[in-house]
Amino acid sequence: MIEHDFPEDFVPIAAELQRLPYLSPSRDFADRVISGIDRLQPARAVAPVTSRHLELQQGGRQTVVPRRRMGVVRATGTAVTGVALLAAAAFMFFEVDLLTAMLSAAVVQYSFVIAAVGAQIGTLVLGPATIAYLQAGALQAVLLYMTLVAGLVGGYAAIRTAAHIAKLKAA
Amino acid sequence: MPPRSYTDVSDQQVVVFAQEGREDAYRELINRYERPVFSLIYRMVRDNETAEDLAQETFIKVLNNIDRYRPEFKFSSWLFKIANNITIDHLRRRQIDTISIEGSPDAVTAERARATSVTVTSGGESPLEELESKELGAAIEKAIARLRPEYRACIILRHVEDYSYDEIAEIVKLPLGTVKTYIHRARQELREYLGDLK
Repeated sequence: MIEHDFPEDFVPIAAELQRLPYLSPSRDFADRVISGIDRLQPARAVAPVTSRHLELQQGGRQTVVPRRRMGVVRATGTAVTGVALLAAAAFMFFEVDLLTAMLSAAVVQYSFVIAAVGAQIGTLVLGPATIAYLQAGALQAVLLYMTLVAGLVGGYAAIRTAAHIAKLKAA
Repeated sequence: MPPRSYTDVSDQQVVVFAQEGREDAYRELINRYERPVFSLIYRMVRDNETAEDLAQETFIKVLNNIDRYRPEFKFSSWLFKIANNITIDHLRRRQIDTISIEGSPDAVTAERARATSVTVTSGGESPLEELESKELGAAIEKAIARLRPEYRACIILRHVEDYSYDEIAEIVKLPLGTVKTYIHRARQELREYLGDLK
């Protein structure tokens, strides 16, 4: 008890100040402190650096060092990639003639190489009948639709990943 | 030989074991002081997450420098000194001179403001006493939040932690006269803020 060195009208306030309860930090506070003590690190085999931000989001201890900045960079990068892939897919869909012409030019340019390698692999994998069909002109169509499908699937997946990251950060 | 339990071991002795690198000694020091340190910091910054981060920074700094502890001083004084320095630095960086009584100044939504507003718990009282105590306790929390951060630290160290003026001067690194003035003014302001409730 401290000595009484204040006016009488402060006595009830002083009494109430002394009764103010202690507030508790979160339950893993000690673990987070211990994980930050350098001098204990050699004795601790695998001491994960934990973050209560991730714990709140994922319900368990997670190894985390850079949390906010890396998340922002990753979400931005993923979103940009997704939009780019979707834009590429849309371009292919609406400008299919131009794309076909580009692919045709590419195929003509590298026809010898493509033909030689493709014929070897194709014969081995698909058989001579399929190769004959592709050589009749279907190769460009296959390439076009494979690119289109890859663009759509990749774009959708990237947008979903970006939305998931944004949702976690908002939680 | 370290003890099985640190229950009856003084802070100074626990520090000696911590200086030997014993993790259980570190945990004991954290266990003894996490609530007082967190409470002091929380009442100064009024934001749970910020208070946790600053309390964590305090303990990590103290425990990483445990070899520098001088046993002629109270361990708790050293700890509170670091906590106060870190918190005041934070407040200066954030330029928070006045804390809103409705919640953290960092709160950007009503929900966040509610989450950072003060709630007080008590125990061992009748429902009426508990209600009155909660009312007065919450009013005192709000009144403390209206004080300047320097006043807040001094009044809490004096009336909640029972430190002497000399010890407070050492903790907050201010001249004794300044500490006395701060506490005197803090009491005056608290009396004014709580005038209707006494």
